[in-house]
This record gives sequence, structure tokens and C-alpha cells, in this order.
Amino acid sequence: MSIISKYVTKKNIKKKNRIDKIVKNSLFIISIIAASFIVVIILFNLQQGVKPLISDNGGLGRVSLLEILVRFEWLDGKVNATVGYGIGYLIINTLISVFLAISIALPIGVITGLFIAKIAPKAIAEIFRTIVELLASIPSIIYGVFGLGVITKITIFVASIFGQQTSAGISMMTTILVLALMILPIITVMSENAIRSVSSTLEEGSLALGSSAMQTYFKVIIPAAKSGIFAGVILGVGRALGEATAVSLVSGNAFSGPTLNPFGTTATLTSRMLTGFRETTGVDQDFRFTVGLVLMVIIIITNFILKKIMKKVGNINEG
Amino acid sequence: MRAKKRRKIDKMIQSLIYLISFIGVIIFVSIIGYIVTTGGKLLSFELLTGNYQAKVTDIFVESNGDNYTYPSSENEYYSPRWDIAVKDSINKEGNPIVEISYIGDNSPMKKAKNLNDCLIGDKSFCSEYSSVNIVVGNSIKTVIMDDYNQIAYGKYKAEAMVKVLEKGSTINSMSIQKEGGGIRGSIITTIYLIVLTLILAVPVGVFTALHLKEYSKNKKSTYLIRSMIDLLTGVPSIIYGMIGVVVVIPMLNIIFKTNGSSILAGAFTMAIILLPTIIKNTEEALKVIPQEIRAASLALGASKTQTTFKVVLPSAIPGILTGVLLGIGRIIGESAALVLVMGAAIKDQVSIKEGSTTLAVHIWQAVGGEQPNYELAAAISIVILIVVFILNRIAKIIAKKMNKSWY
Repeated sequence: MSIISKYVTKKNIKKKNRIDKIVKNSLFIISIIAASFIVVIILFNLQQGVKPLISDNGGLGRVSLLEILVRFEWLDGKVNATVGYGIGYLIINTLISVFLAISIALPIGVITGLFIAKIAPKAIAEIFRTIVELLASIPSIIYGVFGLGVITKITIFVASIFGQQTSAGISMMTTILVLALMILPIITVMSENAIRSVSSTLEEGSLALGSSAMQTYFKVIIPAAKSGIFAGVILGVGRALGEATAVSLVSGNAFSGPTLNPFGTTATLTSRMLTGFRETTGVDQDFRFTVGLVLMVIIIITNFILKKIMKKVGNINEG
Repeated sequence: MRAKKRRKIDKMIQSLIYLISFIGVIIFVSIIGYIVTTGGKLLSFELLTGNYQAKVTDIFVESNGDNYTYPSSENEYYSPRWDIAVKDSINKEGNPIVEISYIGDNSPMKKAKNLNDCLIGDKSFCSEYSSVNIVVGNSIKTVIMDDYNQIAYGKYKAEAMVKVLEKGSTINSMSIQKEGGGIRGSIITTIYLIVLTLILAVPVGVFTALHLKEYSKNKKSTYLIRSMIDLLTGVPSIIYGMIGVVVVIPMLNIIFKTNGSSILAGAFTMAIILLPTIIKNTEEALKVIPQEIRAASLALGASKTQTTFKVVLPSAIPGILTGVLLGIGRIIGESAALVLVMGAAIKDQVSIKEGSTTLAVHIWQAVGGEQPNYELAAAISIVILIVVFILNRIAKIIAKKMNKSWY
């Protein structure tokens, strides 16, 4: 008894309570700091990005937001500092590239996910799953190297069939294929998880009603896994929209557009932001933040639309 | 009849699915195949430990009048007077060089004297020389013989160079180059960046997760903090890089007296990029720890702090480790943000207060220029892929073990 009372004194308890309180408050402060980073990022991006649009840029004149959105060329250099920028073509290029990349990756990804989750024998499914996970972990710069070294050659070959010229294979088609390669593992992993978590009663019910295995897969299971697959699409679109280095390696960084010829060089918002950012200063650098703002707005809008669609198509499991 | 037809269609669709699913495997095999076949030859211990900058030493050699012999092989050109053999070769940057392929044990070249010690690189202005160790693998850039009329450059090829070497008894000046192109600096930079980033990101991430899961009772503020951190995942890495340039670099310029881009700035930027990953994984780990364990600790008289840090946190270590491993993978693979914050100048002497390149940025530098060096890019890619794949597997194994451990 005396031993216990030696430790459980009022003073000790008080001290413990005080320490508890200090720890609790410091953890709270740290988490506030962690949460505030996004505010810093948004604020500074706004500050730098809006500057060219509202100030007269040290006598060079104001950049007109409306004008840059409809201009289809980007004139670099001091002379054109505030009148030469145009990002209309960049927006169109980016959206076309990402849309086509998703269109390629989505069917392949979903079918591969279905294969791993439902069709393949266990051992093969395990190998496929490992391969897909490893593909997902490959850094984008390596996809860029692969794009430069291999996919450009494929592009040159395809172009020669159509009797077209490319600049060493660096083109919109290469960009789209590289993006599709990057998105594919993400969509596959997400589809596989979604398809695997579809309740087996649905599958059994469909089979019991006399539909074949393939009918069940395509008409019951995949529709039931829609929302999970869509989550994969959202992740994939996010990665494709934000990808910079790999795209800047294979796109050719065209100064005008929009690129509609798949064998012509192209440029995306990110590749334009990355090239020359460090070498330039003043309004030319600030304007890249404006492009960054436009990119963020596009990401938010596409996310919003995709989430709306996701809600609309719904999930049979929950319905 | 209809059942038969349907079975046939089913079989057809199934084989189509098999075919399409193999696309992923084909992509994997072709990426690995391309990287290994292109970079495999270049990947060596020398590449990993070598300097990036080539080192040139000018030397001065006197012949001892003897003539040596050496059974030179094909493509090798032997100089009996100097007892060295040279051959045409290509260095890591892809430029042609004249490489020394053999040096005899008694070769006069072994007694070469360093001209760089002299005042203006001329032996007549020199009183003391240090000796130079010439080894096989070094290349010869220029040779100037004693009468200054016989000069050979590396671009003249090995055969012409040997002819010039045979024409005099004193080599007035010879530029010996220790080939560069190594990636030691980039490897060290990557390691520095990983360590610094983790030092910054892990405590903040873990403590935030502790607050969110163990302490916070206010649902609204928890939701707000969590969604703000989630937003970080949606920001493209290039935006982090640009913010790093206008916020982190100026801040560090003041605090640490850095001058522009630095590894430190890279670490701060990467730490913010990693935060969501580390917080998510720690939270997941905290979630699966049974409530009974906390209750038991509290019932034994431990305070909340003691329970959190001595009972709960140790049990969450596997989850934290998963987050850290995924984070390391992200740091190794990141390029866009680091090109902006750390610059793209490849260094041999790495300092955390100066800019340098990680392996990924080294790749970008190798293939981004006018003359892409695919061999080097692929060789570095092999290194990155090995590390990333191993990290990925370990994280998977830990995650699997963690899910089982409480049941």
C-alpha cells in the first residue's frame, strides 16, 4: 500500500495531467501546420499567377486572361512578354491527350482487372497482380525514357504506313501512348479491387438465372463495380493531367497548336510550365503560375464532372 | 443448338480477355527488356562509384631508350618505346576516345611527372614534380612530343597517336583523362534527400495522424484537417516545384544562408508531397489496433501520453514503415518538382546547401538534351527500378503481416 501511495500522489497525477495537456496541444498544433500547407500552396500560386493578369508587369502591359485563353500560340521571349502568351491550344492539347489516353487505358485496364479477379487461375492471377503493381510503381521519368527509346519508333513505323513524317517520332501519338501506359496500372489495380469486392450473390444470382459466365461478367459484375472503376479513372486522369517530365520528353513542346495531327508535335500545360521555368524571371515566370492556376482549375472541373457522372451511374450494390 | 452457340461465343470472348490481359505483361516485359538491354552494358561498379566530371592531368615523360614488346591483340596499337597499348573506344557520354588498354610494368610511363604542379604547365618552369598514376582505362586526349612539331589529338584515333608517340624520345606534354560520367554524386544526393525528407516528414506526419486518430474529439475539425491534407494528393508535383521556388527557396536563403536551389529545399518540398502518404498509412495502422489495448494500458495507470507513445505508437510501426517505404519510392522517382527546386546541374561534390541532381533528374538530364544518352538513362533506370521494386515488395509484405497480426 505504501509503495503505491508513494507513486500515486496528487502531485504526480497533476504532473501527468499537465504533460497530457501539453502533448495534446502540440499534436494539435502540428496537425494544423500539416493542414495549412495546402493553403500556402493555393495562396502563393494565386498571388504569383494573378499578378500578370492585374498588374502592368513593370511597364510591359497587362496580360489579358480572355485573350490568352483563345490564343493558339505561345511566343517566348522579352519582346512578346505580355502580348504573346496563349494557352488555348495547350488546354485543348492537354484535354485531347488525356481523354485519348484514358480511352485506351480504360478498356484494357478493366478487362485485365476482370481477368485477375475472376477468370485467371490463382497462380497466374498472382503473377499478373504482381506485374501490375510493379508497373504502377515505375517512376514516370522511366516511362518517358521508354517512350523516347521505344514508342517513338512505333510512332515512326505507324506514321510511315500512313505516309506521314514525324520529327523523330516525338509527337502527340507518342505522348498519348506514354500517358496511357502510366494510367493503365492504376485503372487495372482499382478495377480489380472493385470487381473482387462485388458481392458473390450477384454473380450466383445471374448464373442461376441462366446467363453465361461472360454475360454475367459484362452485364452484372462490371456494372456493379462501376464506382470503383470510376475512382480509378479519376486517379488516372489526375496523374495524366499533372504529369510533366515524361510528357515534356516526348511531346516536342510545340509553340502553337492545337495539335490535331497525331504525328505532329504537341505541348501540354505541364510541359510548357516546366520548360524554361528556372531560366526565366519576372512576368515570364509568373505567367507559368497562371498556367498552373488554369491547370488546377481544369483538374477541379474534371474531378467534379467525373464525380457527378460517378454518382449518376451509381452502384448497384448500394441501390 | 443455342446453348452450343452461346458456349462458342463465351469461349471466344474468354480468349479475347486472355489476349487483352496479356498487354500488361507485354508492356512490363518490353519496358524491362528495353532498359536492361540498353543500359546493362554500361551498368558497372565503376559507373556507380565514378565521378561525373572527367579529370584531366597533364604529364611529362622521358624515354629510357629501351624497346619493349607486347603481344597486342586486334584493335590495339602498341608503342614499343613507351610500352603502352591504346585502342579506340567510346566513353559514357558517347564520345570517341583513345583509351589506354595496357601499360607494361617497366614502362617509362610509370615514371610520368605531373605538369599541373608547374607554374604554367611547362616543364622548363618547374623544379619539382609529383608522380602521376596512369592506369588502364584512362584515355589520352593530346600528345605533344619534344620538338613541338609532333602533336596528336584524341580525335586522330589510336593508330595515328601511336605513330606520333614513336617519333620522339621525350613526351613534352600529354593530357591524360580519367573518364567521368559516373553517377556517384547523384546516388549520394538521392540518399541525402531521402534522409532529410524523412526527418522532416515522418514526425509531422505521425504526430498529425496521432492527433486525428487518438486525440481529436471534435469531428468537424478532424474532417476539415483530413480533407485539407487529402487535397495535397491532388496537386500535381510540378506545382509543388514552382511553389518550392517562390516560397521554400527564399525562406531557406534567409534561414540557412543557402544560395538558390539546394538539396535542403528539395527535402522541404518533398516532405510536403509525402505528408498525405505518411499520415494515411499511420492512420490505417492506428485504426486496426484494438481498443482493448489502449483500455488495458489506461487501466494499469498509464497516462494518455504514456499509452499513446509507449503502447499505441509502437504497435503502429509497421504501418508507419509502409508509409515511409512508399515515400522513399516517391522520392526516388520524383523528377518534375526536383528539377525546379534542386536544379539540374550534376555534381560530384554534394552539399545539402547546394543544388544537385537525384538519379531521376540525372535521367532527365541525360535524355532531355540535344543528344540523348539512352545507355546512361537506361543504366540509371535499372538502379532505380531495382530499388523501387524491392521497396514495393517489402511494403506489400509488411502490409500483409500487419493485417494478420491482430487476429
